[in-house]
Amino acid sequence: MRGNSTVLAALNKVLTRKLTAINQYFLHARMFKNWGFNELNERIYKASIKEMKHADEVIERILLLDGLPNLQELGKLYIGEEPKEMLRLDDKLQSEDIRYIRDAISTCEAEKDFVSRHMLAEILEQQEEHQDWLDTQCSLIDTIGIENYLQRQL
Amino acid sequence: MYVCLCKGVTDKQIQRAVDQGARTMRDLRQEFGVGSQCGKCTCCARDVLHDAIHARKEVVHIHVPSPQGQLDVDIAYS
Repeated sequence: MRGNSTVLAALNKVLTRKLTAINQYFLHARMFKNWGFNELNERIYKASIKEMKHADEVIERILLLDGLPNLQELGKLYIGEEPKEMLRLDDKLQSEDIRYIRDAISTCEAEKDFVSRHMLAEILEQQEEHQDWLDTQCSLIDTIGIENYLQRQL
Repeated sequence: MYVCLCKGVTDKQIQRAVDQGARTMRDLRQEFGVGSQCGKCTCCARDVLHDAIHARKEVVHIHVPSPQGQLDVDIAYS
């Protein structure tokens, strides 16, 4: 099925964001693991796998629309040096991703590609959930202090 | 934060380099190899560099490669 080129471009942009997030979350997860923060490792590792599943959905959709999914393009990774910074940078990445997905949803809507729109809306829902978790962690650190916070993540 | 992952260069290292006299992207490339491998960090490294120079209340010299050739701008501290 021949897809609309504007939609394909928007989907590829979302794919690039996904591929970038997979790597950033994965590295952060394993850095947490290396430092012994197993709770954070598990949570962020799962977020990375979830991003991979989203990427898979987007790739399959692009192929169905007779486009070429660009798996070569990768954005800059924002890797922190300590736990607080890492969570803050993940939060930043996540909010930017959400903005891209929303833009892509409007594009799909405008081009009447309702199936792509539906797929992106479902992805967006999971993104918002993860962003909410990240927001909570950042505010927890501010209220109980980084030492108390990290004690809970062992 | 790691500005350049290829060479493992952090924003703090760049700020320290500015304190020791680094003023251009070329200085950073020579000292750390920033932007010499995949090039993805160039934009971010430039921001960190300019912020650090700006924090010293100095004039920032910006050389931006553009399709029309090199673009040279001086931004004074305000």
